[in-house]
Order: sequence, then C-alpha cells, then structure tokens
Amino acid sequence: MRVSPLVDLSQYLPILIFLVIAAGLSAAFVFLPMGVAHLTGAHNPNAEKLSEYECGFPAFEDPRSQFDVRFYLLAMLFIIFDLEAAFLFPWAVSLDLTGWPGWITMMVFLFELAIGLAYAWKKGALEWE
Amino acid sequence: MTAFFQSLGMTYEWAWFTSTIAGILLIALPLMLAVAMIIYVDRKIWAAMALRKGPNVVGPFGLLQSFADGLKVFLQETIIPSAANKGLFLLAPIITFTVALLAWAVIPFNSGAVLADINVGLLYILAVSSLGVYGVVISGWASNSKYPFFSAMRAAAQMISYEVSIGFTLVCVVLWAGTFNMNGIVLAQQGHGLGFVNGFFFNPLLFPMWVVFLISALAETARAPFDLTEAESELVAGYQTEYSSMSFALFWLGEYANVLLMCTLNAVLFFGGWLPPVEWSLLYYVPGWLWLFIKIFFFFFVFSWIKATVPRFRYDQLMRLGWKIFLPLSLLFVVLISGWLMLTRYGV
Amino acid sequence: MIQTLAFYLFAAMVIASAALTILARNPVHSVMWLISSFFNAAGLMIIIGAEFIAMLLVIVYVGAVAVLFLFIVMMLNIDFAELRAGFMKNFPVGIAIALVLLAELVLGIGAYRAGALELGVPDGSAAPILGASNIENIGALMYGRYLFLFETAGLILLVAMIGAIVLTHREQRAPRGHQNIAKQIARQPEDAIVNTKPEVGKGVQL
Repeated sequence: MRVSPLVDLSQYLPILIFLVIAAGLSAAFVFLPMGVAHLTGAHNPNAEKLSEYECGFPAFEDPRSQFDVRFYLLAMLFIIFDLEAAFLFPWAVSLDLTGWPGWITMMVFLFELAIGLAYAWKKGALEWE
Repeated sequence: MTAFFQSLGMTYEWAWFTSTIAGILLIALPLMLAVAMIIYVDRKIWAAMALRKGPNVVGPFGLLQSFADGLKVFLQETIIPSAANKGLFLLAPIITFTVALLAWAVIPFNSGAVLADINVGLLYILAVSSLGVYGVVISGWASNSKYPFFSAMRAAAQMISYEVSIGFTLVCVVLWAGTFNMNGIVLAQQGHGLGFVNGFFFNPLLFPMWVVFLISALAETARAPFDLTEAESELVAGYQTEYSSMSFALFWLGEYANVLLMCTLNAVLFFGGWLPPVEWSLLYYVPGWLWLFIKIFFFFFVFSWIKATVPRFRYDQLMRLGWKIFLPLSLLFVVLISGWLMLTRYGV
Repeated sequence: MIQTLAFYLFAAMVIASAALTILARNPVHSVMWLISSFFNAAGLMIIIGAEFIAMLLVIVYVGAVAVLFLFIVMMLNIDFAELRAGFMKNFPVGIAIALVLLAELVLGIGAYRAGALELGVPDGSAAPILGASNIENIGALMYGRYLFLFETAGLILLVAMIGAIVLTHREQRAPRGHQNIAKQIARQPEDAIVNTKPEVGKGVQL
C-alpha cells in the first residue's frame, strides 16, 4: 500500500485546467463555424430552413408531450441501484480492514436489495413491450 | 516532465504549469486526430465486411476522408431551428464533447504517465461518463422537435440502465485490485494468470464480468447493436436530427471519443493496460503506450466487427438484457468474488 | 494560494447557481443551474480533501437524481403561465416555510454557540488510518463501527424502491405473446429446416 497523505490535492489541479481547456475547445468548435459562415456568406437562414424536421407540413402537436410513467419508474430504480453501487465502492477496498463482519454486513444489505429487485420483477416493473 | 522544464531555467511553479498544459494538449490533440482516423478505420472495416471498398478517393487509400468531412462541416452554416431553445441547443454539443475529453485525464498511458494520478481514478471515470447523458437529453429537448425528443428519451433510459451493470462490474475489478487508482489496477494485473499472463480476463471469476462490461460498453456508447437512439428507419437521425455544421460534428467526435474510451477501459481494467500481454522480459522493450494502443485498437476492431455483423436489438430486448440478466448476474458475481477473496485473501 | 482562489471560485459558483435555480423562469434551466451547483459543491468537497464524497456527489446527484428531475420537468409539459399564477396563491405558505427554516437555523447555531450541544466528542475510535486513502477510511468506519446504521440505510432504500413501484406502476395492458428468448436461441437449423426431394407430382407431407 502506498504511504501517502489522505488526499493529494495537487493531482486535482490538472483536472480543473483540463476542464477549462476542454470546455473552451468545444465552445470554439461550436461558435467559430458560426463566425466563419457569416464571413463566407454560407449563413443564409429562411423560415423553411429554420422549421423543425417534419414531412413537409407543420407539426400537428407540441413535440414535448407527456411520456410513459415507466420512464420515471426506471429513473427511480436507477437512483436506488446507483446508491447501492455507491455503498459497494468503499466496501470493496476496505475488506482487509473490516474482515468477515464487514462482508456479512454487505451480504445482508445486498439481500435486502435483492428482495427489492425480486419485487420489481414480480410486479412487472421491468417489463417493456 | 516538470523536471525537464525546470532544467530550462523556469521556477518550479511555472515548470509544473507548463508541463501540465503540455500534458493536456498531448492528450487532447492526438485524441482528436485519433478520432478522425478511427472514423475512417471504422468505415473501412465496415466496408470490407460488406465487400465494399469504403472511402478511397480523398488522399492515398482515402486516408484524408475524415479531414475533408471535417473541413466541409466547418464551413457549413449552423442552423438553429426557430422553435429551439437556443442556449441549451448550443450547450448540448459542448457538454457532449467536453465530457468525452475530460474522462481521459486519469487514463494511465504508461507506467506513471498519467495526467491526474488520483486515488479514486475509476470513480472519476464513472462520474464523468454519467454526465454523458446530459448532452443527449438536452439536445433532444432543446431541439423542440418530435424525433430528437423520442430519441433522447430512449437514449437516456438506455444509458442509465446499463450504467448500473457497469458500476457493479467495476466493483468486481476493484475488489480484486484493492484500489481505485488506475495505475494500481494495472499493476495488480501483473502476472495475474498463472504468474505470467497480465490481465484480469484470465481469471475465471472475472472473465464473465469482462463479457458483461464489453456488452454494457456497447450499450452505453449506443453502438450497434444497441443504436436504437438513431434507428434511422424510425427516428431519422436521432437526437442530432436538427443539428448541422460543427455542432453536429461534435456529437460524432464525442461519440467516437467515448467509444475509444470504452475500448481503453476494456484494455486497462481487464487486459493489463500498458503491460505486455505476458510476462516476458523481451516484451518490456516495447514501450508501454504502444501495448496500450495495440489493445485499444484490437477492441475497436471488435466494436466495428460487432457493428458490421449483429442486427439491432428491439427496445424491450435491450431493457430485458440490462435489468433482468446483467444486473442480477453482476450482483451475483460481486457476492462470489468477494466471498472467494474473503476465503483466500482477507478472512484467514 | 491556488486553493484559496479555487475555494472562492467554487463557493461563489455554488451560491450563484443556487440563486439562479430558484430565479430561472424555465424549469429546465432551473435543473441545469441545480446541476451546476452540485458540480461546484463537488469541487468544494475536493478542496477539503473528501475526494470520495466529491465523486459520489457527481455520480449520485448529478448522474442520477438530476436525471430524474430533468425527466420530470421535461416531460410533464408544464404550463409556465399556470405555474406563475399558482405562485401568488402559494406565496404566504412559502414565506411561512422559509421563516420556520430561518428560525431553526438561528436556534441551532445559537444553541451550538451557547454550548448546549455536545457534537461528537472525539474519543479516538474514529481516527483516520494514516497511509490508507480516504475511501478506505470511510469503508472501515461504515462497515465496522456504524454497520447497524448502514443496514438501516439499506432498509430505507428497500422501502423507497417498493414505494416507487407501488406509486407509479400501473397494471399492464394484456401482454404481447410472450417470447421465450432462451428457447429461440437454443433453436437449431435441424429443428426448423427439412431437406426433401419429392418426386414429381407427389408434393411434400409436412
């Protein structure tokens, strides 16, 4: 095991700088062509061009319609399993410190969530057609 | 690298800063070049499997095709639909591409050659890749058009479904490696199989998890056979339908950068990263980054191969695979692997 | 120096994004500002050295919770004008809740200042293990000292899951003819194809 302070902050500064550079680069990629198009005269919008993609007639209804409730249920199940994974992360690297009690604790926890998964399965919450 | 800049007479701070910037550019610029080339390679492989020639006009063997395409989209007009939400419409490609670049900060290219050597490297990758869903959802909503919106919904549900099983497979790897540090994970694979094969894939308990990870990686990046988000017969061009010019190209660049990232993760987490395939002192004369690139390219070939041969999934099949097969399977393997490790490594 | 600068940058961004979350007129913009505020809070966590918490903040809040918010806000087809009409009606209630929260804050800080509360007396049993990383320390504490609290968290998650299913799940319309995928994959060419050579005018008996 490496002997180091709890956290090495100097390793995070490159990430911050990278974030700035990456965001700047992508923004440049989006906005430069707009400027270039103005200069070359490629920028020539008209009402037909700016309408949304449809089969040659205006859309009948608002595209942002209500959606199936299953998508919400899916997102909620995702949050729960994501949290479960989040609990697994520190456990996975500290097994040498916690030993069997830590392992058994997690097995009980996983069993609780397996019940939840079995319930969702039985109720048909995971069914799509 | 800091020491090199210091030898040029800079103070430590400036030398550190310069070497960091150089490191970032050394990752970002070759990555963009690699993405351009890999699109060409993808088309070539795909064409060869369909007995076609693929791009062969621009430059020798068509090598400059991607650059010609890039120049073309760069000079095009950026169309922003009048019904769209302008700010978010332009923000979506920026998010997609930034996120695709950002994950590379913790990838080890060689022993110690990593931009940010953080303790929680793998969690960082998971965190950054979980942001990818925003580029898709926002583009779909901001376009204010039917097909992008449907596609964004499908994509979001698909990405979060497979993120769950990816999370559990990563736990399996971490259990065995005992660390979240990317370099540590690579080093833990040294001589893993019978003392001379480098890589977790050789482990009978981790091999099924590698298969799950590979397939989830395909689904996470919406590659065929999971490319329902741009099923052209139903959804035109998916969430990119309303985009044009460079904003459109950024989605492509981001998508392929993500595909490369997933190939890299396959190589780093299961195939020994920058280590040679087997422990043999002669193989260590080949530089580590070259081994990594060979492995990445191999996985990219596998991705292209799958794209060329496997028909597209139906949406209910996709969801079934993610929630009813991969999720219980990876949970079961977390239990099996941790139990095995308790019996053999920690619990005695 | 850089740490101080970064702290003020992140702190200012957290407050500004939080303010814009409640001031933005478009609910989708609100969610975006909320995400920005989560993100900067993660930055603050890194500065105090809690790298694991920072990553969790991004994975769980930005990657999962905010996605649900975005789903809801995007797809409920909210009528903005109607929302603003409701604003004046609920205004007194909002103010009352805000006042209660403010009073709680003042009372809490006041009690703490007056020394009426004993907040975690350090007895050395939760001291960090030097040489182990942040995340290992959290693991050692959570699955050692606090394992019953952890199991309670598991039960709460179970209740949340069942609750979500009970509240949102509706009985399905009659399901389509059920597909047995294992059976489909196990099917071999021999089961499906017969090679025959019928004589002229005889036909084939299937």
